[in-house]
Amino acid sequence: MDVTAIDRSAVLGSSALHRATPASKLVAATLVIAGVVAANDPVALFGVLLALAGGAAALRLPLRSMWVLALYPALFALVFAFAAAPGAVTALLIVLKAVTAAFTVVTLMFTTPYPQVFAPIQRITPGIVGDALLMTYRSLFILAEKLADLTRAVRLRAGVSARQPLRSAKATTRALGGLLLYSFDLAQREYDILYLRGYEGGLRVTPRRSASPAADAGAVLAAALGLATIALFRALPSLAGYSWIAAVTGAVACAIGIMYGRRHR
Amino acid sequence: MTHIHIPDGVLPVWLWAAGWLLTLALLALASRFAGRAGSRRAVPLVGAVSALVLVAMSTEIVPIAYHINLTVIAGAFLGPWLGAISAFIVVLVLSLLGHGGVTVIGLNTLVIAAEMAVGWGLVRAGLRVFGARRTRAVAGVATVLTLALTTTMLVGIVALAGSPATERETGALDPDTLRFESPFSDGVVTLGLLSGGEHDEEHAAEEEHTLSVGRFAAVVYTLGPVGWLLEALVTAGVLGYVVGVRPRLVIAGVFAESRRTRYGDEHGGH
Repeated sequence: MDVTAIDRSAVLGSSALHRATPASKLVAATLVIAGVVAANDPVALFGVLLALAGGAAALRLPLRSMWVLALYPALFALVFAFAAAPGAVTALLIVLKAVTAAFTVVTLMFTTPYPQVFAPIQRITPGIVGDALLMTYRSLFILAEKLADLTRAVRLRAGVSARQPLRSAKATTRALGGLLLYSFDLAQREYDILYLRGYEGGLRVTPRRSASPAADAGAVLAAALGLATIALFRALPSLAGYSWIAAVTGAVACAIGIMYGRRHR
Repeated sequence: MTHIHIPDGVLPVWLWAAGWLLTLALLALASRFAGRAGSRRAVPLVGAVSALVLVAMSTEIVPIAYHINLTVIAGAFLGPWLGAISAFIVVLVLSLLGHGGVTVIGLNTLVIAAEMAVGWGLVRAGLRVFGARRTRAVAGVATVLTLALTTTMLVGIVALAGSPATERETGALDPDTLRFESPFSDGVVTLGLLSGGEHDEEHAAEEEHTLSVGRFAAVVYTLGPVGWLLEALVTAGVLGYVVGVRPRLVIAGVFAESRRTRYGDEHGGH
């Protein structure tokens, strides 16, 4: 998981979705996830996923990194589907639900700096939870980089070798132990900084204003359209045979999005 | 495998909503008790340890769909209350990175918080009884017992989801309402997944109408022990290393190790 790629895209990106307010993007993500929860037709849901991917391609978001994260839960969903689903169609739906929901939240994170995503969560959780959440995300970058450095160092010193699994395991757990100690030292340093700055609880994040009301409306409308599509097929069982229309529409939207994104690169 | 890798829209609404409510209550309680240690001390510590757990969880062992958790280690150092806060943060951040559903954040928090609390209890009790010399063995056994318990919790949650209570329209995945038909199935396209309109009733009769709890339990208890063993080895190795390098950290705890009282900060600052 490359968390730095997420942060880079969220902070440095300049797409229409980056200009929308975090609040509208959170509403849009909630609508799509509500659609995922309600979905009972894998074909219609696949159409929504294709349309989402088309939108991301049109906005020239880093699709490769996004797909890596969005497809990751598919592996676990497959295991769950294999273990618990009563049939192949249900299993397909479970995997599609996992990928669509993941792609939605990943799109949110790739277009919104993390303090802005956490700001609404801070309002509904106790102060210590909100502050620790911000601290966690900050520490995540530091520890991920430290682990990469440690792993590289162990490998360069021939500590990890396929021929000697026992020695490799020892070296890896020592690296993790080192990382654990480093994380305590990091916590102590952060405590010192908080002490110096007179922290008394309550790290505040100022919500960002919209740079493009049209982008706000577009994000919410597109998400509402996706939810409406899924709700329609759920509410009207007589339409069940026509869900392929949603899939074809999604495929066309995806193709147009890819072509638009390539042309405006 | 101990926390739920179940996507959104599979579990019934009443179940994940109850998970969210219980989690919010737990967080309110935990922040009240955790505040006693001083939020100035607790915030960076929870942040650093949660980040460590996140780094571990994002490293996947592909063939068995497993990733290291380090939750027992986190629990052993944070204790049950800070552990509950850390569990929520870890699950929330993971779900925002696409790993785990958003609706199941509540249930996942309860499972991981239980993992940290039980891990803390077993490691602390084990060290008290057997001493620091047996840290590796204590950590390994505590991890296996903790993971076995939380895996059973996970199976229990899926069993609840598969109960008759979920058979009504709850917004959850309900095979009774599953639609998968093709207007072309009368002869234009009759291949593979696109066929089925005319077979729907047969398929419906063939398929069971709830999640298969027995099969799920069988898979989880077959794959799980491999993961428990790996996790136990890692936990034992890491705690063994730490006890060798900074024993006071394991024996007396993080707060005892890092407590440096400053003028005006005798209570840790609230």
